[in-house]
Amino acid sequence: MLTRLPLTVRLTGFYLLASTLLLLGMAAFISSAITHHFAELDRETLDDKVRLVQGIAASATSPQNLSDRLRDALRNHPGLHVRIVQEDGQLLHDTAGLQFPARLLRQTPGDPKGGVLEWHDEHSRYQGLVARLQLPELVAGQARIIAAIDTAHHAHFISSLHQSLWLYVLVGAGISGLLGWWATRAGLMPLRRMKAKAQTVTAHKLDQRMDVEAIPVELADLAHSLNDMLQRLQDDFRRLSDFSSDLAHELRTPLNNLLTQTEVVLSRARGLETYRDTLASNGEELQRLSRMVSDMLLLAKAENGLLKLPSPDRIDLAQEVQALFDFYEALAGERKIRLLLWGQGRITGDRLMLRRAISNLLSNALRHAFEDSDIVVELQQQAAGGVHISVANQGEPIAPELLPRLFDRFFRADKARVHLDTEGAGLGLSITQAIAQMHGGRVHASSDAGCNRFSIDLPQAPG
Amino acid sequence: MKILIVEDEAKAGEYLRQGMQEAGFAVDWKTTGPDGLHAAREGGYGLLILDVMLPGLNGWQVLQKLRQEGHQVPVLFLTARDEVEDRVKGLELGADDYLVKPFSFAELLARVRTILRRGRGGTEATTLQVADLVLDLLRRRVTRGGKRVDLTVKEFGLLELLMRRQGEVLPRSLIASQVWDMNFDSDTNVIEVAVRRLRSKVDDGYEVKLIQTVRGMGYVLELPESAAC
Repeated sequence: MLTRLPLTVRLTGFYLLASTLLLLGMAAFISSAITHHFAELDRETLDDKVRLVQGIAASATSPQNLSDRLRDALRNHPGLHVRIVQEDGQLLHDTAGLQFPARLLRQTPGDPKGGVLEWHDEHSRYQGLVARLQLPELVAGQARIIAAIDTAHHAHFISSLHQSLWLYVLVGAGISGLLGWWATRAGLMPLRRMKAKAQTVTAHKLDQRMDVEAIPVELADLAHSLNDMLQRLQDDFRRLSDFSSDLAHELRTPLNNLLTQTEVVLSRARGLETYRDTLASNGEELQRLSRMVSDMLLLAKAENGLLKLPSPDRIDLAQEVQALFDFYEALAGERKIRLLLWGQGRITGDRLMLRRAISNLLSNALRHAFEDSDIVVELQQQAAGGVHISVANQGEPIAPELLPRLFDRFFRADKARVHLDTEGAGLGLSITQAIAQMHGGRVHASSDAGCNRFSIDLPQAPG
Repeated sequence: MKILIVEDEAKAGEYLRQGMQEAGFAVDWKTTGPDGLHAAREGGYGLLILDVMLPGLNGWQVLQKLRQEGHQVPVLFLTARDEVEDRVKGLELGADDYLVKPFSFAELLARVRTILRRGRGGTEATTLQVADLVLDLLRRRVTRGGKRVDLTVKEFGLLELLMRRQGEVLPRSLIASQVWDMNFDSDTNVIEVAVRRLRSKVDDGYEVKLIQTVRGMGYVLELPESAAC
């Protein structure tokens, strides 16, 4: 659920939560510090007042004199309420107007459990305490001072402080939420730019790229990956388009032959032999076409990764090459070409596929080898378990710029030779490449001093 | 021998029927799965040629029902799809062979004859003979008109195939597969060259040429009609 929320909402929420928590903590701290401070202050004031009363009372000569002196003295101390009680409970002095709570009255001075007591009535808040009073002139024993001060103004202050703090927390959290929202939006701006860029990409505009320089480091990786993906898409798309146009082009020539030939023959009555010849020639052309279609299908499947190794086997490559030599023996003999095998090699793979891959290299070599020359197939078992297979023939040198294109579909180095009977559709080397790639290997072509070499490198099959 | 063809495509079905009839088979042709299944149940067929994509019931379903009901008639599948899984599925259901469209008719005919021959077995000849050409399988020797013909191992294999299936047109792909175990099309004319070499050893110097090229289809070993009469 949470993952579906927009990023902006999520981040803003987090900002809001974090700043609210921080501000609340701050407010609680301030409030508690100030409340504590005022309580201390009130207590000190109360202590001072009590000491004052003690001082005044100490020198009183009579109860009347005590009351008078206290009344005079306390006139300048509004909010201070004092009651003085003898040990036997007789009241010596009382400031009118305050009902002391019974709890306070019961306390004895110096009681460790006692101390400052807070209470409130309908008018105000109070703090009070009970203290000893020595009245040497008046009373033999001890008396008690019960004193209280009105703390209403502090309570007012604290409560208005609380209100302000709450307001501040609310407004602060709101503002930081807004700031968070703005920061998130601003921070996500590069993403929106990437999105806008991505929306401009279509099949015909695959050359669009993210500007990695203008994107924060954290997103640069993503942008790089997207750019790589676009590059691959563009390459694949280009290959696919090339493929379709190649295909159409390659089909056009034989179809044109078929059509022309058929129409010319049908245009007037001819001998039986002519019809038979035409049909036979059409049949040959059609066979070539159908072979091309199935080769193209194989390549298309290989390219789309649909071709899985049907039945991997442990294969003795020397044996396979020997079987292929038997197959091509007649063809080689006709042109006095010797087929030679050097080395040994074993690999895990599909027998039919690998045989076909090597067969294509051999037929290619046979097609281009000089008369009365050697074709050498070399097998090298690699230390890592892979195999290097190379087929070398002596023939016309291949121009270096053509080498990388030899494995392209329909590529023929010699365009003029296209429709000789012995010429394939130009798919053989592509198929070899596809089969090598299916086995996790790669192909390579080189041409050096009249020796043209095509090789397959196969790695040790995994597992 | 009666053959049942189940193929919904009119042109393909018509030509298959004609081709098979001209090859000497009695042919029935049905165009839907249920019709084909019904006809096959009636029995009396030596072979079924089944298209996979059929209206009503597909080829696999027809085969499955037949096998469930205990019909053991051989079945050859035709399909436009070339997927390994399809092939495996067909063979698991009890099909005898499988051809991917487009295929050459000569290839189909050769496969049909291979399937039909499979059942017969029995007497294994030790020598094959066509006219004055004799192939001795035990001593691996070939003579023409009593004169020894020297052949390489593969040439011997090629001649043996042609003689065993004399009168049948063998397509190049079948020859490559049977003699050299190359189960793919080579983009060269290697079969042509091999047959030409064999022919030069077997037929050169003799008036009756036994190995003939059927243009656009393949090769056949037989006594030419004019010589047979």
